[in-house]
Amino acid sequence: MKEFASDKKSRVPAFLSFVVIALFYLAVFIAEQHLPATSMLFTVLKKGATYALVAVSMNLLNGFTGIFSLGQAGFMLIGAYTYAIFTIPLEQRESVYQYFQGGAVHFTVPVPVALIFAGLAAAFFAFLIGLPVLRLKSDYLAIATLGFAEIIRAIFQWNQLGPITNGSNMLRMFPNFNDFNIRNASGEVTVYLSTTIPFIIAGVCIALIVLLIHSGYGRAFKAIRDDEIAAEAMGINLAHHKQLAFSISSFFAGVGGAMLAMYQTTVQAKSFTSAMTYEILLIVVIGGVGSVTGSVFSSFLFVACSEWWLRFLDEKQMIGTFEVPLLRNGFRLVIFSLIIMIVVLFFRRGIMGTKELPDLFRRKTKEGIK
Amino acid sequence: MENNILRIEHLTMQFGGVVAVNDLSMEINRGEIVALIGPNGAGKTTAFNCVTGVYEPTNGQILFCGRQIARSSPSGKMRKIYAGNDASAFVGDSVRLSPDHVTKLGIARTFQNIRLFSGMTVFDNVLTAKHLRRKSNFLTSTLHLNYAEEKRMREETRELLKAVHLLDVADEMATSLPYGKQRLLEIARALATKPTLLLLDEPAAGMNPQETEELSAFIRHIKDEFQLTIFIIEHHMNLVMDISDRIYVIDFGRLIASGVPDEIQNNPAVIEAYLGGGDE
Ligand SMILES: Nc1ncnc2c1ncn2[C@@H]1O[C@H](COP(=O)(O)OP(=O)(O)OP(=O)(O)O)[C@@H](O)[C@H]1O
Ligand SMILES: [Mg+2]
Repeated sequence: MKEFASDKKSRVPAFLSFVVIALFYLAVFIAEQHLPATSMLFTVLKKGATYALVAVSMNLLNGFTGIFSLGQAGFMLIGAYTYAIFTIPLEQRESVYQYFQGGAVHFTVPVPVALIFAGLAAAFFAFLIGLPVLRLKSDYLAIATLGFAEIIRAIFQWNQLGPITNGSNMLRMFPNFNDFNIRNASGEVTVYLSTTIPFIIAGVCIALIVLLIHSGYGRAFKAIRDDEIAAEAMGINLAHHKQLAFSISSFFAGVGGAMLAMYQTTVQAKSFTSAMTYEILLIVVIGGVGSVTGSVFSSFLFVACSEWWLRFLDEKQMIGTFEVPLLRNGFRLVIFSLIIMIVVLFFRRGIMGTKELPDLFRRKTKEGIK
Repeated sequence: MENNILRIEHLTMQFGGVVAVNDLSMEINRGEIVALIGPNGAGKTTAFNCVTGVYEPTNGQILFCGRQIARSSPSGKMRKIYAGNDASAFVGDSVRLSPDHVTKLGIARTFQNIRLFSGMTVFDNVLTAKHLRRKSNFLTSTLHLNYAEEKRMREETRELLKAVHLLDVADEMATSLPYGKQRLLEIARALATKPTLLLLDEPAAGMNPQETEELSAFIRHIKDEFQLTIFIIEHHMNLVMDISDRIYVIDFGRLIASGVPDEIQNNPAVIEAYLGGGDE
C-alpha cells in the first residue's frame, strides 16, 4: 500500500531543521565567547531574537487565526513594565522611584518568574478586552486594538499610578541581558551568555507556538482563518478559540516586551508607539504571513538592516576624493522604505510564503530522489 | 430511543420584507432519507440555516431528538413588519443555539457553495472537524500529551477518507480537487463530527453525470454505515426520487406538498410550481 505523508511524514526534514537550528545556537554561543561583546553583531542578534518572538506571536493571530490585531505594542508594554516592576532590586527602588517614595511594590521575583508574570499580565489584559473586541470584523478589530494600545500607553504614564509604573519616568536598574553572563569572584566574565540566553528564551517560546500551531487547536485556528462559517459548522466555538488565540499571542508578546526591556536596559511607556506595531507587522509581512520561519528570518534581516547594514547611508562617504551625494542623516530611512515598498509590491507573499524550514529540506530531498 | 429526529414547527424566516420561509412544519424520523425540494429561491437553504443555528428564526420552533434547539417569536422592529403566520404561538422563552453547539448535539451539514478550509490539505480538513469531540485542552494539546487521542483521530480520518475514496489525494490541498471530489470531501468532513442527522445542501451540484449516478448509492451506503438520518436538498429529480423515503416541496417559502416520491411526482401543485418557476 502507498504511504501518505499525512500520517507517516518523513522525519528527515524535521530532523535536518533541528540540526540547523542547533548549529545556529552553537555558532551564537561560540561567537559570543570569542568576539568583542560590543560588536554590532550581538546588538542585532539580541534585538532580532526579541523581535522574532513578537513577530511570531503576531503571526499566530494575523497569519494563523485570521485576526487582524494591531495591539502588539500595547501588550509588549504591559509585559515590559510587569517584568521591570517585579525585578528592580529593592535597594535600587529608592533611586528609581525617586518621585514616588520608592514605589508601592516591596518585593522582587526571580527573572524567569518575572518573565512568566509579564506574559500572564499581557494575556490577562488580552482576555479582558478580547470579549468585546473580538466580536468586531477585520478593520474595526484592527482599529480597536490599536486604540487599546494607545490607551494603555497613556494609562501607564498616568501620575496616579506612579507608585507602580513610575509615571512618565523611566524604569531602570532591573536585570538585563548582560546579567546573564557568568562572572568569577573578581567580576570578570568567564562565560558569555548575554546573547545565548535571549536566544533560548525566544527559542522556547517560539517552539511552544509552533507546537500549538501543529496541535488540534492550531488546526481549529486555521479553520477559523480559512472560513469562519464552515469552522463554526464543524463545531468550533468561534468566541472561545479567538479568545484563546488572542490571549496566547498576547502572552508571548508580553514575554517579548520583557525581553525588549532587558535589551534596552530601561523601560518607558512612551517608546511603545504604534510605529513599533507597524514595524512588527512589516516583519511579519516581509517574512510571509502564515510562516513562523519567515517571521524569524525577517526579524533578523529587518533588525540587521535598520541597526547595522544600512547605517553607512546616514554618514558622509568618500570614494577616493569623491563625496557620494545624498548620503546624510535620515537617508537610511528613505532607502529602507524603498526596500520595504519593493518587497510589498513584488514579493507579496513575503520571503517564505507559508513555507516553513522543514519544507525547504523537503523540496531538496525530493529532487534528490526523483 | 426517540424515533423522531427533527421536528420543525411553524418555522418562519423573514429578512426585511422578504419572507424566505413561511410557516414550514415538517418532521424527520430516525433512519429516514428526507428531501426538501423547490424552485430556485424557494427558501430551502434558509430552512437549513435555521436548523443549524446560522439564522435565528423569526417565528416557530425546531426540536432535535425532542430537545428544543430554536424557538422564537417576532421581536423588536420585526414585530411591526412581520408578514408570516401566527406571531403569538411562540412568545416567551426563546431558545437560540450557536452553530457549533448545534453541531455538537449531532447535526452536521455541507454547503451549497462549497466551503472547504482552503489553506489545508484534504486530510487536515477532515481531521479539523474531529476537534469538537476532543477531550484534551489547549495545554495538553500543545504539549502533545494527547498523543493517543491524536492518533485515534488520525486513524478515524483515514477511515473516513477511505469511505469517500479520497485517501489517495489525502495530502493535496483541498481546493485543488475537482468539484465533485470537493463535494465528497465536504461530506467526509461533516461525518467527522459524528452526526446523528446529516444535512446535504445540493450535493450533486457541479458533479458530472457519472458522479451523480454514483452519489445515490454512496448516500445510502454512508447512511447505513454511520447510522445516519439524512435531510437533503437537491435539484436532480432522478436522484431525489431514487433515494428519498419522503419528500417535502416548498415554493416561495411555503410547503405545497409532502409525501412519498410517487405521490410527489404526480402532484399537480408540484408540477405547477416547477413549470411556473420557469427555471427548471
Ligand atoms: N441572509 C439573507 N438576507 C436576505 N435575504 C435572504 C438571505 N438569505 C436568503 N435570502 C432570500 O431568501 C430567499 C430564499 O433563499 P434560499 O437561499 O433559501 O433559496 P433556495 O431555496 O436555497 O434556492 P436555491 O435553489 O437557489 O439554492 C431568496 O429570495 C433569497 O434572496
Ligand atoms: Mg439553496
